[in-house]
Amino acid sequence: MERPLEVQDIKKLIPQRFPFLMIDRVLEAGPQKVVAVKNVTLNEHFFTGHFPGQKVMPGVLIIEAMAQAGIVLYRMKFEKEAILFLVSVKSRFFKPVLPGDQLRLEVEPLKMLSKMGIFKARGFVADQKVAEAEIAFGTQDASSP
Amino acid sequence: MSDVKDQVLEIVSTVLEKEPQEIPLDAHLVQDVGADSMMALEILAALEKMYRIVIPEEKLREMTTVNRIIELTQESIGKAKQR
Repeated sequence: MERPLEVQDIKKLIPQRFPFLMIDRVLEAGPQKVVAVKNVTLNEHFFTGHFPGQKVMPGVLIIEAMAQAGIVLYRMKFEKEAILFLVSVKSRFFKPVLPGDQLRLEVEPLKMLSKMGIFKARGFVADQKVAEAEIAFGTQDASSP
Repeated sequence: MSDVKDQVLEIVSTVLEKEPQEIPLDAHLVQDVGADSMMALEILAALEKMYRIVIPEEKLREMTTVNRIIELTQESIGKAKQR
């Protein structure tokens, strides 16, 4: 990959849109690894309620950002566009993600098939690991492998 | 290779969230035990990690019973040793 993927490139790979596009830039993209970035700003709509007195990025949205990086990973191996459904998530959160943080997401395949897959995801702020997960997904027709 | 047998059963029971004794070795995992194709993939990924083997995608549909998974795993371990 010669240059990072910007928002307009990312939109060609993943179907999510405002206010649910959770990756801002892809620094590295290949079938064996994708590194993406989410800039977490005070303006994020979810900070209004999560929480009024203490702003913390919801863990489920960290998972969503990982999942979207995972779609990029899928599309690096398979060209076809498909809506991918989340099947299972095993996750652990280490530190809160706060306004001003740059969340770096690294995803690597454990097994990536055309109709379903499992990948490992890790989230970092600076060099601190803030979350990790093992995420499984399937396409709508995944029941017949 | 009786270790493989025990370890495969352990992986299957962990993924299916059942006790090993609830899973007869010849029971059809989808029809009789309640597994789905995603669980089959999880089992396959766990086996690949544990034994450092590669099980081809087309073998997924053959992973119907614990006994068959044991056979497929042993075949893959055999092939990995030849390389």
